[in-house]
Amino acid sequence: MKKILFLSLLIMTGLFYTEIALSQDWNSLKEASRNIRSVKADFLQKRFLQILTKPLLSEGKLFFNTPDSLRWEYLSPLRTVMLQKGSTIQVYNFSEGKWKPEMTQAVEARRMVPAEISRWFQGRFNETKTFKHAYSPGPPARVTMVPGEGINRFIQRIEIVLSARPGVIDRVEIEEPGGSRTSIEFKNVEINSSIPSEVFEKP
Amino acid sequence: MIWKKSLDIFLLGFLILSIGCVSPPRKTLGPGSPDDLPGCYAVFPAGPWESVHKIEATIRGGSSSLLGVTKGDPSERRLDSLLLTPEGFILFDAELRGGQTTVRRAVAPFDSTAFAGGLMEDVSLLFLPPKDKPTGWEKKTDGTMICNWRGPDDSHTEVTGSMEGGWRILRRNKYGKVIREVVLNGPFFDGLASRVELRAFKPAAYRLRMTLVQPSP
Repeated sequence: MKKILFLSLLIMTGLFYTEIALSQDWNSLKEASRNIRSVKADFLQKRFLQILTKPLLSEGKLFFNTPDSLRWEYLSPLRTVMLQKGSTIQVYNFSEGKWKPEMTQAVEARRMVPAEISRWFQGRFNETKTFKHAYSPGPPARVTMVPGEGINRFIQRIEIVLSARPGVIDRVEIEEPGGSRTSIEFKNVEINSSIPSEVFEKP
Repeated sequence: MIWKKSLDIFLLGFLILSIGCVSPPRKTLGPGSPDDLPGCYAVFPAGPWESVHKIEATIRGGSSSLLGVTKGDPSERRLDSLLLTPEGFILFDAELRGGQTTVRRAVAPFDSTAFAGGLMEDVSLLFLPPKDKPTGWEKKTDGTMICNWRGPDDSHTEVTGSMEGGWRILRRNKYGKVIREVVLNGPFFDGLASRVELRAFKPAAYRLRMTLVQPSP
């Protein structure tokens, strides 16, 4: 009986300390991102599909101003841009020499992207209700996010690989049921450079 | 006088619009030389292939840009087709095996049976030759092929063109009306056209402009 009590106490103490360590990790991530006012980066997206031998490559640019202004722009193979300013999200495609509003911007899956990215660049990984999250100090440090019921039909796991540079994300890996996955690598990351507000308003 | 002029302009406008709506007449052909028959299949990829296209869709004045991933095996008349957002979300994923379409994944507004049937019909028209032998074909002196197929439902498929000048595929319903028109332009990579424009007229009108991004035999 004494042995069981001791063991229970040990497990409870262990859990308690793990909880404190995790909360410290989340706080340190938030702390690292506290000084970030803007992010500018290029990205390379690799889409691995079961039916394709080679991954589908897309290149683009990202602009982010705290707290919730985002420009997520693809330059190739499709030229398309998602603009977020506050709660307003607009999607435009460059077609026949001009920018045209995207007809399917109501697609919920597309709207999730800016919301999640805005949180990640502010180190607010644990604030999403859509995913359960875990932190691994690495190196490299990683945040693993597992979606709840519903979204797990489309996304199995998201892994965010953090840079040694505080507040910077190196890579995002998104895994899907069935073995398909997406990798997004960020390059030429500029922190706190001045980004004019029209970047988030006009395509 | 002014009234008569207005009437003339109205009639002229009506005539121009009518010409735009009239289906070009179908040329009746008989079987041509057996040596020319392979030319009827030149527009379709011959072996197993996979491709990525950027797709610009225009429907009821609205436009949408998506990525289309297709994998096919003509010998088994097998097609796999995916529609993705630029972010890589799969909006539609279906396969065609032995004439039967199975939707593996679809999100609104791409989740209706009518959409699945229509899309797979379009993909088949683009990448798979009709199942049976053409009912008629002819090779012109400049190398242009004209090939006609009759479908089981009395529909007709007409393929006209050459690898040098590009191709046109027409699908007519049993009443002879053009319901799909596809224009394919080179350069061609293993039977895959670099630029494709598909116009659907019935039951719903839409236009798809496709640009080959990634061919991979």
